[in-house]
Amino acid sequence: MNRSKLFSAVSLAAASAMLLAACGAATPAPTAVPPTVAPAATAVPATAAPKPTDVPKPTVAPTAAPAAFVGDKLAAPDCNYGGSMKAIEAVDATTVKFTLCAPDPAFPQKITGSSFNILSKDDIAKTGGDAKKIGENPVGTGPYILKEWKHGDSLTFTANPNWWGGAVANKQLVIRWSKEAAQALLELQSGNADNITKVATEDFDTVAKDKNLKLIPVEGLNIFYVGFNVNTPPFDNEMVRQAFAMAIDRAKIVKDYYPEGSTVANGFIPPSFKPGPSPDIKWYDYNADKAKQMLVDAKFDFNQEIPLSYRQVVRVYLPSVDKVAQEIQAQFKKIGVKIKLTPKESGTFIKSSTEGKEPFHLLGWGADYPDATNFIDYHFGAEHKQFGKAFPDILEQIKVGATNSDVAVRQAAYDKINTMLKQHVPVIPVANGYSAQAFRADVTNPIANPVSSTDFWMIKGAKDTFVSVQSGEPISLDCADETDGETFQACDQIFEKLLGFKPGTVELKPLLATAYKANADASEWTFTLRPNVKFSNGAAFTANDVVASFARQWDASNPAHKGDTATFDYWASYFGGFLNAKK
Amino acid sequence: MVQFILRRLFLLIFVAVGILILTFAMTRAIPGDPCTAMLGEKATPQTCKLFLERFGLNDNIVVQFVKYAGNLLQGNLGTSIKDSRDVTDILAERLPMTFELTVFSMAFASVFGVALGVISAVKRNSAADVGAMIFANLGVSMPIFWLGLLLAYIFALTLRGTPFQLPPSARITAGTDLPSLLKVWGMEDAAGLKRFIVLMLSNSVLFSSLVQGKLDVFVDTLRHLILPAITVGTIPMAIIARMTRGAMLDALTQDYIRVARAKGLAEFTVIMKHAFRNALVPIITVIGLQFGGLLSGAVLTETTFSLPGIGTKLVDAIFSRDYPVVQAFVVVIAFVFVLVNLFVDLSYAYLNPRIRAQ
Repeated sequence: MNRSKLFSAVSLAAASAMLLAACGAATPAPTAVPPTVAPAATAVPATAAPKPTDVPKPTVAPTAAPAAFVGDKLAAPDCNYGGSMKAIEAVDATTVKFTLCAPDPAFPQKITGSSFNILSKDDIAKTGGDAKKIGENPVGTGPYILKEWKHGDSLTFTANPNWWGGAVANKQLVIRWSKEAAQALLELQSGNADNITKVATEDFDTVAKDKNLKLIPVEGLNIFYVGFNVNTPPFDNEMVRQAFAMAIDRAKIVKDYYPEGSTVANGFIPPSFKPGPSPDIKWYDYNADKAKQMLVDAKFDFNQEIPLSYRQVVRVYLPSVDKVAQEIQAQFKKIGVKIKLTPKESGTFIKSSTEGKEPFHLLGWGADYPDATNFIDYHFGAEHKQFGKAFPDILEQIKVGATNSDVAVRQAAYDKINTMLKQHVPVIPVANGYSAQAFRADVTNPIANPVSSTDFWMIKGAKDTFVSVQSGEPISLDCADETDGETFQACDQIFEKLLGFKPGTVELKPLLATAYKANADASEWTFTLRPNVKFSNGAAFTANDVVASFARQWDASNPAHKGDTATFDYWASYFGGFLNAKK
Repeated sequence: MVQFILRRLFLLIFVAVGILILTFAMTRAIPGDPCTAMLGEKATPQTCKLFLERFGLNDNIVVQFVKYAGNLLQGNLGTSIKDSRDVTDILAERLPMTFELTVFSMAFASVFGVALGVISAVKRNSAADVGAMIFANLGVSMPIFWLGLLLAYIFALTLRGTPFQLPPSARITAGTDLPSLLKVWGMEDAAGLKRFIVLMLSNSVLFSSLVQGKLDVFVDTLRHLILPAITVGTIPMAIIARMTRGAMLDALTQDYIRVARAKGLAEFTVIMKHAFRNALVPIITVIGLQFGGLLSGAVLTETTFSLPGIGTKLVDAIFSRDYPVVQAFVVVIAFVFVLVNLFVDLSYAYLNPRIRAQ
């Protein structure tokens, strides 16, 4: 066969192939999507399947047409099932729309959590949504891929060649863990690690003074508070609660028992949230004399001994729990109030305080997402019993703050709430505790994030392998069904969310979504997805992956509604009940 | 002898039942709510309800025990609630680390403890005796976590850059490439006992690195074991030294020693062949008990050095109320302890012909 005959044959074959391909590729008819469809076991296509009559004439297409995108959709029949999600729909390959049962201005912040990482639809189907199987060979769009998980010892990651963000700073990332802060610090000091993600309060100074190390403080998106049950005497008297608020020298507590950077709380919402805190509304100043006088006026019984309950668990918001409890006890003694310290087992304490059985207690809260709703709605909403009866005036403003997308309107509502909290004093906000990460001094671009995982992809160590030591082993690599930060840290190297945070801040930044918009009342959120993103296995990322990742959590009848414990805590916490859940 | 072994093995059945009941009851008696312990403080009541239902923790405790015992009789240790992984896999990952650490620390404790004890007894009331006993008492009194951190500080920081520098933690250097033997031997689909054994061998980093011809990894692993082994071995070493001294002093005053010396035997032969051999029974008892104790998890040392052994996992499981893991680990530890004791009893017969004759 000579060259021209060969060329003709190849051309003929190519033309035939194109023709056949064109015949096979059907363009779906633009079918109207009903507002809701019956909940199905799996996400259902939003558009109708192509009909045989839709086949275009073969002569039209000179080249093979790309396969048409069929978007998935999952919708609740109504909003009476107990949750706040109404529908999730892949409008097209790069657009996904969430419809909520009620307005939610914090929706973008909520889905920045690692529980809302996007997995590949195919991988979800392949693994059946089983966290263990997902973790064996995790397929994500993030900067790293898992090389090996030596259970009990370490996780090793290598660069994801398909990552849309380009090259990562280190060839290899190793995450190890140590429960002992002193031991982790030794690892860093000896050069066996490049980073430790938690520095003990007592080690802040050591790290700061070591020229081989760098201390990176992390803003405290948390609150430590003294709580009351306002139904229980003597705390059913507002004046007593106000007096107690004045009796605590919060500045002394922060100065003596918190690491550098920590601040005296001016309200219940962390200072950097927008909207939320009200800098002009000052909390009660420490005034022991006035506090005592108010208690006398309120006919407070100074002979009674008041139990102060707490759990002996160290948290960023309360790094020295026993010492702080003793300090508070000593401060009350100065005005003649007898406090009996009552430490309790953590689980028991959380349960009883949540049920409103701890009249006077110490507790705190760390942000799940940086919005005031995460602090105010949870603690002072109608269903929360920790502080006793709910206050109708606060409830009214909570509704305004949580159902409006206008920042100014929301801020006005939170200003009122902050004033009311000062008036009613169901809690005494005490401190916003800082934490810190530490790096070797030779690490370039060391950054620590206040609410999201560390962006290791942009932090360059002195060697090819960057070693980070955190305080615990991840539970799995499927974060949809997990709640702890150590697990999130590992997941977030492999998977990405629609939105993330700018390094070191709580300011939203695009990740898998490049843009998003809400309707007027913030009950419908539409996200435009980043084009040309691939998963680590080479598969293209589309809106259907987003739908599948959310649908497996939302729909209890979805075969992939499995995860680790199948509780999907964050979904339940943010969006209420599950679709098709067993009654 | 055979009858003795059979009788001991028969008694093991009752010990096993006792251990199972006790372990089960004790894990359920740990205060606190398993849901909050496992899912965190922010778990909602609805979530907790789902969680408890899914893992059968809402069932009557008797029903839970019957299910557990039934699974155990079929060789099923269960699935970790926290990790969703087979408990047998977790055991196979954790046991080799603890075993390696125990063997090395006991080797250190036995060699140095016996040597110190013998020297101390032979040179009774000398400076060497006093020095050795002060050292032994210090060893017994020193808190393990403090000693571990101190050793790590000295060898990782103070001696940094010298040939004596040692890693302060971990099992091997981060990022070291040592594939699993399941993969190397093409047995990734293996199941049951075969998988358990290969996993155990694979997780014995010393064994695995040798089999794969990775001498550098083997040496690296040994270097990582030195500080933990010394830390774990210090207290047993001190106990062995004191016990050896006492047993040797007792033996050295016996008539047969006087006879041996009168026969004109070399002092070394008198001490090692006549005195030491007769002093061995109590020493072996102590070594056996210490070995069993160490196998039960050098919890503090494993935590101090971030070692993936059974001690760290057990503590983690207790804190997170991961009942299947706690139960399985405690049962295995108890069995190992009982078996080590059996082995010690048998060794008496070997060492002392009078016991053998009885």
